Amino acid sequence: MRKGKNSMAGIVVPLLSIVLALLIGAIIMVCLGANPATAMKNLAIGAFGSKPNIGTTLTKATPLIFTSLCACFAYKCGVFNLGGEGQFIMGSIAAIYVTLVTGITGVPAMLLALAAGAAAGGIWGFLPGILKITRGQNEMITSIMFNYIATLLMGVVYTNWLRDGSVPQTQAVPKESQIPRVITGMRFTWGFVIAVVLGLILYYFLFRTSGGFKLRAVGINATAARFNGFPVRRLMLFSFIVSGAIAGLGGSAELLGTQFRLINGFASGYGFDGVAMALIGQLNPIATIFVALFFAALRAGATTMQAATGVPTSVSDIIQALVIVFTVAGMALTKLPEFTAFLQNRSHKNGKEVRD
Amino acid sequence: MNFVTNLLLATVRMAIPILFIAIGEMYSERAGMVNIGLEGLAAIGSLVGFLMCFITGSTWLGIFCGALVGIAVNMIYAFATINLCANHTVYGMAINIFAPALASFIYRVYFGKGSDLSQITLMKGLGIPGLKNIPLVGELLFNQTPMVYLAFLLVIFTAVFFRRTRSGLNYRAVGENPKAAATLGINVIGVKYLSCVICGALAGIGGAYLTTCYSNTYTEGNIAGRGFIALAAVIFGRWSAGGILLACLFFGFCDALQIRLQVAGLGIPYQFFQMIPFAATILALTLIGGRKLGPKAAGKPYRKEER
Amino acid sequence: MSELLRIEHISKRFGDFYANRNIDLTVERGEIHTLLGENGAGKSTLMNILAGLYQPTEGKIFLEGKEVHIESPSQAVSLGIGMVHQHFMLVDAMTVFENIILGDRRSKGIFIDRAARRKEIEELAARYGFQIQLDRQITEISVGEQQRVEILKALYRGAQLLILDEPTAALTDIEVEGLFRVVNRLKEEGKSIIFISHKMREVLHISDRITILRGGEAVATINRDEMDGQQLASLMIGRELSESHYEKRNTAEKTVAVLDHVSYHKNSKHNGLADVDMKIHAGEIVGIAGVDGNGQTQLAQMLTGVIWPEEGHIQLKNSNVGVFDPLQFIQNGTAHVPEDRNLQGLVSDMSIADNIVLKRTESEEFSKGHGLFLKKKAISAYASEMAGKYDIRCRSIYQDVRSLSGGNQQKVILARELESNPDLLVAAHPTRGLDIGATRFVRDQMCAARDRGVGVVLISADFDEILEMSDRILVLFEGRIMGEYSGKNPPIKEISMAMTGK
Repeated sequence: MRKGKNSMAGIVVPLLSIVLALLIGAIIMVCLGANPATAMKNLAIGAFGSKPNIGTTLTKATPLIFTSLCACFAYKCGVFNLGGEGQFIMGSIAAIYVTLVTGITGVPAMLLALAAGAAAGGIWGFLPGILKITRGQNEMITSIMFNYIATLLMGVVYTNWLRDGSVPQTQAVPKESQIPRVITGMRFTWGFVIAVVLGLILYYFLFRTSGGFKLRAVGINATAARFNGFPVRRLMLFSFIVSGAIAGLGGSAELLGTQFRLINGFASGYGFDGVAMALIGQLNPIATIFVALFFAALRAGATTMQAATGVPTSVSDIIQALVIVFTVAGMALTKLPEFTAFLQNRSHKNGKEVRD
Repeated sequence: MNFVTNLLLATVRMAIPILFIAIGEMYSERAGMVNIGLEGLAAIGSLVGFLMCFITGSTWLGIFCGALVGIAVNMIYAFATINLCANHTVYGMAINIFAPALASFIYRVYFGKGSDLSQITLMKGLGIPGLKNIPLVGELLFNQTPMVYLAFLLVIFTAVFFRRTRSGLNYRAVGENPKAAATLGINVIGVKYLSCVICGALAGIGGAYLTTCYSNTYTEGNIAGRGFIALAAVIFGRWSAGGILLACLFFGFCDALQIRLQVAGLGIPYQFFQMIPFAATILALTLIGGRKLGPKAAGKPYRKEER
Repeated sequence: MSELLRIEHISKRFGDFYANRNIDLTVERGEIHTLLGENGAGKSTLMNILAGLYQPTEGKIFLEGKEVHIESPSQAVSLGIGMVHQHFMLVDAMTVFENIILGDRRSKGIFIDRAARRKEIEELAARYGFQIQLDRQITEISVGEQQRVEILKALYRGAQLLILDEPTAALTDIEVEGLFRVVNRLKEEGKSIIFISHKMREVLHISDRITILRGGEAVATINRDEMDGQQLASLMIGRELSESHYEKRNTAEKTVAVLDHVSYHKNSKHNGLADVDMKIHAGEIVGIAGVDGNGQTQLAQMLTGVIWPEEGHIQLKNSNVGVFDPLQFIQNGTAHVPEDRNLQGLVSDMSIADNIVLKRTESEEFSKGHGLFLKKKAISAYASEMAGKYDIRCRSIYQDVRSLSGGNQQKVILARELESNPDLLVAAHPTRGLDIGATRFVRDQMCAARDRGVGVVLISADFDEILEMSDRILVLFEGRIMGEYSGKNPPIKEISMAMTGK
């Protein structure tokens, strides 16, 4: 029954963390002189209050789902890819080139741009991956360095190579090459649908196939995996590439569906947000999607909250950050032997038997 | 001043923030605590340093408060990893997300939405009489801000501490083999907490240096990867103070070089020059490879009564 | 003689499990007092309480008649209790000198006064007849030397009572003699020694008194000459020791594996193999005798494809191996019970079921489309069957392997490895740390595998195990094969000598 208890903790801890973080958020609001109830209400309205608002939430969720799935997939194989942001950006650079430079237009351009995005992200994931498995490099440091390089490269693209006149930004993706919306009146596009389907596929792969099984085994104990004949290095590289491709696909979907042009600040912070969401979601792709939706709701709602009550949007950033701080600590706590013993003792006293 | 002198001067200036952070990380890892939350600690240190300096006008108070807030935030990391045995890497990331969010929140609450950047007066240089007049060397080493001298003193102190003192020996044992250290009566938990205090303070100072001694204003993302480059510097410097100094000077040089090259123009998009420090970090790590030379028990949880 | 240490009614509980229950023990000054008991009898727990690492759940400790509470290792040290742990508590990255002065509280000053400390240590070493190289790194010295460093460390801290936890486990016979000389010298100097062991011969040789622990309780304390080995063993195990001899065989069946002049890190005495020639036939158990750290680890990994030879060839099923990779060996019918269960054998945070099917998720039996869809039901059913067949005691097959006892973890590995119908089984220290029941089970399974025609390589530092199980015995010393002996009536003296390189 231990398994059951573990997955229980995997749900309870993040939920408790969210409650706790919202509570602290409310206290901050009080300190800022706002009525937390009103503020929270406006936050909720901003996120879910109307069809367009829900659309905005889903739009904001789309890139977050991609980067969190990127983190999720890599960590399942025990490689700490912090380069989601760079891979995301490389995907968007590839997409803008396909749509603006190749001369292809319409749906073929869109599909090609998505594929190119995934490929570019995959290559950007391959680099820290190959450095790790051949040179034993710390993949966290290298993947972050590649983030900065990608961001700067994007800078070259929008200030120089594909600059649109005097403004430091690229031209917009032509209308006919953009990813269409799913429902008129709501901003979100098929990119969101792709993200969710991708999450389901990753879940299936990780938990229902032999490849996913091996990948998880490598993530938990690479030595034992090697002794048992698994191609550990190849699996690690594979997970780096796939994880990069996921982010790259996200980057191209974001460009083609929402942003349309590269500009200063594009994708800023998405990489680390993805890491946070993957960890809160206990590295479960489906749970991760829900976490991303929650984060997106906080962001979408924050603007309404600020307009209505004057509470700055950055309160919602603090709430998100607190969720990760609490969740990780909380999960560690539930794994402590003292804690398990405490739970057992209590249920013994209550006359319940937990051991079986 | 010619190009070379300028470059070397800038090298020292750019190396200092990384040096503070990297030495902090060395104290941390020597006690077995792998803290990748440096970027976040530096970010909050940078903001608070700036803010205190803005309010009081004292750069020193800014630096001091930067250190304090670095300690305070790092105590969250310390508690989670030491007492709750949370994974060091994961929790470091949590700090990297939490601390910058806190910093930008404080900034926005204090300065409101006003778009004009608030500025402060940077820390004054303090030439050392006599020595500063030595050609080149004097300019480089003896005509800087006091923070530069402090950084060099810190390197010397750290080197002596770990090599020559009894406490340094005991401290190292905690990172190498905490169980053995405990059987010899060394307070393992205490040393680990101490390491987090030192690391938090130094990372905070490194961040505050950027706003009080380097650039006179605070912008989001001003740490710009220095926390992670510091991590690389610890590996590159092989966990020794002298090695870390050299590594930081190298990274400082790359940073200085890219600025000089940007100024020089050359018709190449300036972003390519800005990539130099990051590319150099990857290159440096590639050259030394993955040889594990660090403390043996780094990153591993320590439990007192383990069966 | 006067009493130095007395413990009364000590109990130590971990969760629901009593590691020690109501133990009484006294140690006199200048006495060598042995704690005898099999693995898991609670010897180490009791000693960790004395060393301040664990706090007793109940009970009292008296030193020289005064009650003491040993709340930390440093307090134990200041009370004059020194412990040499079975797994040495040395800092590998430091020198012998640094290890000895580590944590020292007596000397004052900020800096390390090398000259003065050196003089003290050298005097101490001379007094007890130790030869020691202070400036060598721990990794550069032999296991015997490391042990002397540990003892010196304790003496340097003024230990009156020295606890030696399984001190002979990793030593050659010659080194054991050296250790006993030191121990007797300490006794002459009036120090008391608690000696922990489960080796009857040594215990009867060195002890003044013996306390037998079984299942966490002290069963008896006797003087050395009161009992013989047989009686002691019965007390230790709690029943008459049945002489269970496995049938020895003489086979000349087909060979399943050949090492042909194989070398690996040839010049490393402790972590290499030098020019190893050996054949393993179907249906025999080849015992590899030797003291730990003479190339056993490398031999096991060589035979399973984890490392590959720098010189020489390996044949499996009569054809040369070209690709050195565990998968290649597994596909050629090699099974591996690795020396470190948790690190190398099991993915401990996965379930029992997952670990049992670990290598076979792509097979028709457990998935559709070559791994594209795992048949969860088939996996569960199979795992349940295996849990029954291999007597894996668990609450559920979905339980994490980490939460199992060592014996049950080993059974999970056996279930996985033996059910793959191997031709060759490489078992490295398969019973290390297991209780008697699990040990018996593992040995029976190996024997049954042999009877089915599997070629078994048994690598063990437990000489008795080698003698009991092997059809053929090879001795490994510093990476070389020192001799080959028949398993029937093996020449024990000769083999012991070979194990020390003579």
